[in-house]
Amino acid sequence: MERESFMNAKNLNRFKKIKGIIALEKYLLPAPETIFIFDFEKQEKEIDVFIKGRDYLMIRSDKENDADFCPHNLTCPKNEAKDFIEGLTAENYAVILQECIPWKEDKISGNVLTLRKDLLIELMKGGPLTLLNRDGQVDACVKVRRGKPKKIECSGEKIISKKDLDDILRLVEHLPPYKIAEFSIGPDWLYFWQIIDDKTAKKLETAC
Amino acid sequence: MAKGKVILKGIGASPGRVRGEVKIIKFQEELEALASGKIIVTSFINPDFVLAIKMNPKVSGVITDRGGATCHAAIVTRELQIPYVAGTIWATKKLKDNMAVTLDGGKGIVYEREELK
Repeated sequence: MERESFMNAKNLNRFKKIKGIIALEKYLLPAPETIFIFDFEKQEKEIDVFIKGRDYLMIRSDKENDADFCPHNLTCPKNEAKDFIEGLTAENYAVILQECIPWKEDKISGNVLTLRKDLLIELMKGGPLTLLNRDGQVDACVKVRRGKPKKIECSGEKIISKKDLDDILRLVEHLPPYKIAEFSIGPDWLYFWQIIDDKTAKKLETAC
Repeated sequence: MAKGKVILKGIGASPGRVRGEVKIIKFQEELEALASGKIIVTSFINPDFVLAIKMNPKVSGVITDRGGATCHAAIVTRELQIPYVAGTIWATKKLKDNMAVTLDGGKGIVYEREELK
């Protein structure tokens, strides 16, 4: 079954991460090459094609209506990938199979929170981004007034170059308010991981 | 509400202003014995810690050393309408148990207050 059929067959709104990854396409944000696996047997050929020619894969998972921690392996060797995927699908996880990002390279990860008038960017050295989201590792903050001329306020360590910041701002400028776009930047790549809705961010409008 | 001297500046992670006494928390189990209305101060609140706060209505405010406005903890405290100042770096060093403070979770500032009797 093709990916589109699966996307139609499932209520993808119940898969928070998958919904967030699909949203990247809608807003034309660059993302690692990705396929979603819901049924190992039916999609085995698709998995084989994806794995072919890669040494490592990034494997994440998602579960319907489940906000708890989902299993993952961000640098899964090719020869272990299919067993891991099969195990996840057997436990009713949907699998997010992605090209492996070179995690050992110097890089920055972060979140962009869109408000009506401002963009709040929180950054950490390295990754994965879960260290920021779940453990609070924030090394720098940037607040940008939308529109031109841009007014920029920075705090914390200076870990991002003007070019990288400009690249991110150019890509997220058109996002509607109250979204969080998660990203990582390497020496010659910039990928977004997902976009999540954050309705609570409206409360920050008056405070900012 | 009158403001006192600024003790700490951080990131305004969940708006709202609250006055109360500080309780330094090292382990989330300490929340069970918390007196009502306390402002908890800790290095950071991970998702398990956040769950404990959700279950404990005695927490009136949160101050952490680490974190920011886009972390999981910030989103949940906004949902719960608990004022939260994140990323102060020094909160667990500068603040002591029973210190009276005013927390502004919108501006990300912690003010000194006179001791509450």
